[in-house]
Amino acid sequence: MSKPMKLLCWILLFCTGFFVITFTVYFFNLDMKLTAMIEPFLLKHYDRIERDRHL
Amino acid sequence: MAKEVGKDRLGDLYIDGGKVRRRREWRGVADTLYDYSRWLKIMMTLGKFVMKPRNVKAMFRYRWMANYLAVPMMVDRHTQGLRGEYLRICHEEQDLIIDDVAQLLENLFRGDRRIGNDTEFSKRVVLVDENEMTAVMMGFPNLKVLSRETPSTYVSVLLNQHAAEHYIDVAQEFGLASDVCPMPEAEAGVSIDDDAPVLGACAIQCNTTCDGSLLGNGVISRRLEKEDGIPVFQLAAPLRHREDDVQDYAAQEIKNAIAFVEKHTGHAWDWDAYFECAKRVNYATKCRQEWLEMNRTEYPQVFGSNLALYTETNYMAICGRIPAFEKADRRITELARQAYAKKKMAVKEYRHRAIIWGVQSHYYMDFLVWLLNCWGIVPLTDMLSMVSTRELKETDTPENRETAYYDMAWLTENMIMRNRTHGGYQVLLDELWEYVDMFNADMVILWEHMSCKALDGMHGLFEERARERGIPLVWVTHDLFDPRIVSRQGVRDQINSFMRTVFREEPLDPSLEVLKDEESW
Repeated sequence: MSKPMKLLCWILLFCTGFFVITFTVYFFNLDMKLTAMIEPFLLKHYDRIERDRHL
Repeated sequence: MAKEVGKDRLGDLYIDGGKVRRRREWRGVADTLYDYSRWLKIMMTLGKFVMKPRNVKAMFRYRWMANYLAVPMMVDRHTQGLRGEYLRICHEEQDLIIDDVAQLLENLFRGDRRIGNDTEFSKRVVLVDENEMTAVMMGFPNLKVLSRETPSTYVSVLLNQHAAEHYIDVAQEFGLASDVCPMPEAEAGVSIDDDAPVLGACAIQCNTTCDGSLLGNGVISRRLEKEDGIPVFQLAAPLRHREDDVQDYAAQEIKNAIAFVEKHTGHAWDWDAYFECAKRVNYATKCRQEWLEMNRTEYPQVFGSNLALYTETNYMAICGRIPAFEKADRRITELARQAYAKKKMAVKEYRHRAIIWGVQSHYYMDFLVWLLNCWGIVPLTDMLSMVSTRELKETDTPENRETAYYDMAWLTENMIMRNRTHGGYQVLLDELWEYVDMFNADMVILWEHMSCKALDGMHGLFEERARERGIPLVWVTHDLFDPRIVSRQGVRDQINSFMRTVFREEPLDPSLEVLKDEESW
């Protein structure tokens, strides 16, 4: 296989892989499912921050 | 999973008691791929945002930043059930708003004394309220007009219905009244909780729109002036804004505000920039009027949250200052014309044409999409979208410069919400029924924001007029920023029982009638 053909194959493979992975994340809402798991840890972290609370 | 509008049971996408949805919607190949491509774009915007260390630092400093984890879901909520042009219009708006808010956050953190601490940049920043027309800044192209309340409370509640609860509780722990509007109360809570970025050469606050707003501004300005050393101008726009005899005073207030900004920033007012912005404001008004004209026909195109959320942003926060919104206006108008020419409908059946009046529940902004999908009710327009249509002077002449102060004053007086909740019963009560006739509406949905005294006082008068005219009117009670008082299902139940008992109808999509989304973002 010539070099340009090889390169084209790699690009196609990369694009297909990128599409399959990102579309799966998109369709099954995996991005939101992940961030929903992160939120409680962040809220605990905010509770620990020292603040100058006053009117 | 269907391409056709209305074939899917959208309620099946919800997880009982879950924070997020089971999966995204299948809208047919073309629309799903389009939605996916816009999701990718949003992910890139978020990716670029978190690449900057100071933004990550801010993420770990400010509690309200956690709400931004929910950005893609906010878009999903507003695009629910939409196809074709309606989906594209929604993305055109939402994606631009996301870009604009990301830019706002970046600027806030760049100047913030706790995060980026770029002091030179901070000297070019003028802080404004969230609930304030930015007309007075149209002639300062080299200054950054930033609102701390927009990302910390306004957008946060759009992203996550529970976002303001912590700050409301903080404000009340410090003795602030619990019966005021929870929006300014939450904004005050952010300040009390030491959770607002500190930056800026000066700030402008506006007397909008109620007792709660004045209370919140008092708390915020005290901290800004006395602790942070940031001087604050109180722009006191007249409340009886339709009266001729208040206009001279209103224009003078604008002149005073401009002089204040010039004094504290060292930047001079630029008339060329002002008239450029005025042209863009006029163009936005022209487009909005065209959309509303379409909504008077049998084939409305830009309505519901597509109209409400975009108008709020474009009219008030942007006010002609950002050219990208002019492009979006053009694109939305093209899409709307295209759909109108094809006599397209957003759902399979339009059963009722409704005017939505009053102040809508912020934690359930996508309620307007729900009305459409669940009951086939078309929200033709809403109170907050019926703003000034006055054409501003846009050529630079000595006479027009003087008129420009009156134009800016008019815009400030006619800020969203304020133009209806103040100004007498003509603007709040009489004009509602004029719009009912104009839009050929067959029902009125009246939000009862239970902490809004300006609106609650007219409850009986609205009912009296509805009876006189024989127009079905349904009250929908909510507490604006606090879903603990009336939940999203509580909001939906009021419509559900009205539709079943008064109209004796069955829903278009029964799966949406009862949703267990109390824990949802």
